[in-house]
Amino acid sequence: MSQNQTNQQRQRGRPKLNETAATSVAELLGFVRKHQALTRLELEKISGFGRAVVADRLALLSELGLAHENETGISGGGRVPRMVSFSKNRAVLVVASIDQSSISVALSDLTGKLTAQHHEPGDLGLDPSDGADRMITLIRLMLSRQTKLPELWGISISVPGPIGPSENGSPLTSTPDFLPGWNESKLVERLIAEFSVPIWLMPSVNTMTVGELHGGTSENNDCMLFIKTGKRFTAGLVYEGRPYKGATGAVGLIGQLPATHEGILGTLDSLAGAEFIEQAALREARNGTSEQLTDLLNRGGELTLNEICQAAQLGDTVCVSIITASGKLVGTALATLLNMLNPKCVILAGALAQTNDIFLAAVREAVYGASHPLVTRDLQILQSQLGNTAGLLGSAHICLNALFEPKMLRGWVMMGTPLMHPDIISIMQPKIVSEGLV
Amino acid sequence: MGIIGLGPHGERAAPPERVVLLPNDIAMARRKKFRVAIIMHTLESDWSKQLVTGIIGTLGDAGAIVVEVVDCSFSAEAQIHALKRIRLMQLDCVISLPITSEAVADAHRMIAESGTRLVLVDNVPSGLLPSKDYASFVSADNYGLGMMAAEMLSEHIPQNGSIALLGYDKEFFATNEREISFSRWISTNRPDITTNIYHFNSIRTVGQLAKDLLTKPYCPSGMFVVWDTPCVEVLKVMNQIDNHVPITTIDLGSEVASSLAQNGPIKGISAQRPFQQGESIGKTTVTDLLGRKCPDWVALPGLAVRQSNVAESYQAIWRMPAPRAILDGLAPRKNNLNSEI
Repeated sequence: MSQNQTNQQRQRGRPKLNETAATSVAELLGFVRKHQALTRLELEKISGFGRAVVADRLALLSELGLAHENETGISGGGRVPRMVSFSKNRAVLVVASIDQSSISVALSDLTGKLTAQHHEPGDLGLDPSDGADRMITLIRLMLSRQTKLPELWGISISVPGPIGPSENGSPLTSTPDFLPGWNESKLVERLIAEFSVPIWLMPSVNTMTVGELHGGTSENNDCMLFIKTGKRFTAGLVYEGRPYKGATGAVGLIGQLPATHEGILGTLDSLAGAEFIEQAALREARNGTSEQLTDLLNRGGELTLNEICQAAQLGDTVCVSIITASGKLVGTALATLLNMLNPKCVILAGALAQTNDIFLAAVREAVYGASHPLVTRDLQILQSQLGNTAGLLGSAHICLNALFEPKMLRGWVMMGTPLMHPDIISIMQPKIVSEGLV
Repeated sequence: MGIIGLGPHGERAAPPERVVLLPNDIAMARRKKFRVAIIMHTLESDWSKQLVTGIIGTLGDAGAIVVEVVDCSFSAEAQIHALKRIRLMQLDCVISLPITSEAVADAHRMIAESGTRLVLVDNVPSGLLPSKDYASFVSADNYGLGMMAAEMLSEHIPQNGSIALLGYDKEFFATNEREISFSRWISTNRPDITTNIYHFNSIRTVGQLAKDLLTKPYCPSGMFVVWDTPCVEVLKVMNQIDNHVPITTIDLGSEVASSLAQNGPIKGISAQRPFQQGESIGKTTVTDLLGRKCPDWVALPGLAVRQSNVAESYQAIWRMPAPRAILDGLAPRKNNLNSEI
């Protein structure tokens, strides 16, 4: 009997190496990716695996291009250790964001760092298929600009509305109606057909909250309230370091909170949002009470939130008063939430908060006036520093969390790419063939 | 013309008027005697020289001393070296034009972490955030500049023609914006035109790229070059092989302005206003050093320059009379006009 036959007989009935190794390979990659272990010795300690197993799995990860040991560390007395690093440039992600007035596309490495980004104005009120066309064109442009483009592993998009049951983190196979008419644009189906990668869509308030948690002022904050301002007000809550999703995923619809302005009862959206501000400014411009607004109206024909905020910042008293009124209403509503939730910090983002300091000052004034002193004692109320980048950063991290989720990772790690995961293959193939989108 | 584009993080632009120095501010700044360094990608171009003049003059008015102006000659290594050296000087502020987005990011972050304030020009390195890592970002509306150039070139492109877009292959905010907005304007307003994008990695290679394009069987009907220095190389190639197609570019350098005035291949130029941009950078720097918050992005609108307004635009942008080559190019047209009258 040959040696080969003897080995085959011994292995009969045992699981194959790629079946047993997947768990340990995935576990070790997880430690390396999260910087929980940086050397072989640390990996042995944290995982409990023997030296031979760690060496074998690292060799495999290196062969798959997922980790490498190129750098040397500092000796602790013996031989200089080799540092184990996650291969962050093994693949690239495309992340994008559609907002009421802008469209953004970026590339991210496998740590969630944005390596290139572009933002441009875009009107969401126009035909959704035009919006989808533009997004696909921008993705093509961003990818074509890269001289060395690694494998594309996924596309993650931040959208300005709820997407329904798919918010559980699974990639999508069809376009949800996050705003009226968008399911007709076939955005998701077209992206799958063109790029053959999994697609994620997430409401922008979720992506922005996650983005702030990973790169903004409140990085790694374990208790944070994120408020997105603009046409509508939405909020995201980070509790114990994780975004809180609620029972049905409908967290943070604070624009529906009741508000009163000059005796009129309405909602926060209707009495403090961008449309209300623009209408108020238009009335003042027509009445001639603000020279600057009248001049803007005569020159441009319309008054946008941005122009009104700029005018307020330049000292136009009418604009200051309109923005202050909006800020006070938001602050009053916010105080109720703060008294209940007691977060460490509040981040204000969106067009209204980021173009001027007057809104921020008014929010602070109302919050301090209507909150318990214990709640506001150490509370920070800050403007977002990330701007639209928050949504992109959050989209990248949502995509990475899905790809490297332990169960998912075990399903693809031995192939070296999530595109070979059976679930991903099954999601993409039928769609491409049945809809004739190729 | 208003600001069309969005900032590097999707910010809305603040106009330069948002950053004003009042007599009190200037008096206070003079008492503090701020020390500032300027780090440029190059000091060779007309644009750079004018920008630096604007910065230095404005800082001088406010009593701030420019201790060093560094020319990095488009080298990321030189910029990293300069930033590391300047960090040790413990200045009040560094004004920098980052050469790339990725390679120089850590060196810029080190400046921010050392307590020296950072004001960025035309590009923001990857991962740096306003307020947290840098005080403000000042640039032209590059998105608007690209659109202007597209509109001016489209007037010279026949139905179903093609345009060769010569872009810069480095990840750089200003040139990326111009490239993307140019393509967008053409696809929206002249869908019959095909835009083919080609990238060059240095000014030395752009001439060969243009030569390859202009000598192939299907020569483009027009060209757009993302700024004027490489455009001058393209003009040289056109003269060499005697094949002139309409071009538009960004920045009103003397050579491209002369070609525009003399009815050469240049049909339009989207001009930045480097002197005014330099003044805005100076004011932003002083405002920040006085402890007042500056806008995340201060943007200046561009100026569409055609043959009809090239001389006065030259004066407005460079603050000096237009050179003889431009005026001579325009003179016959004036004579013709007189003879027609």
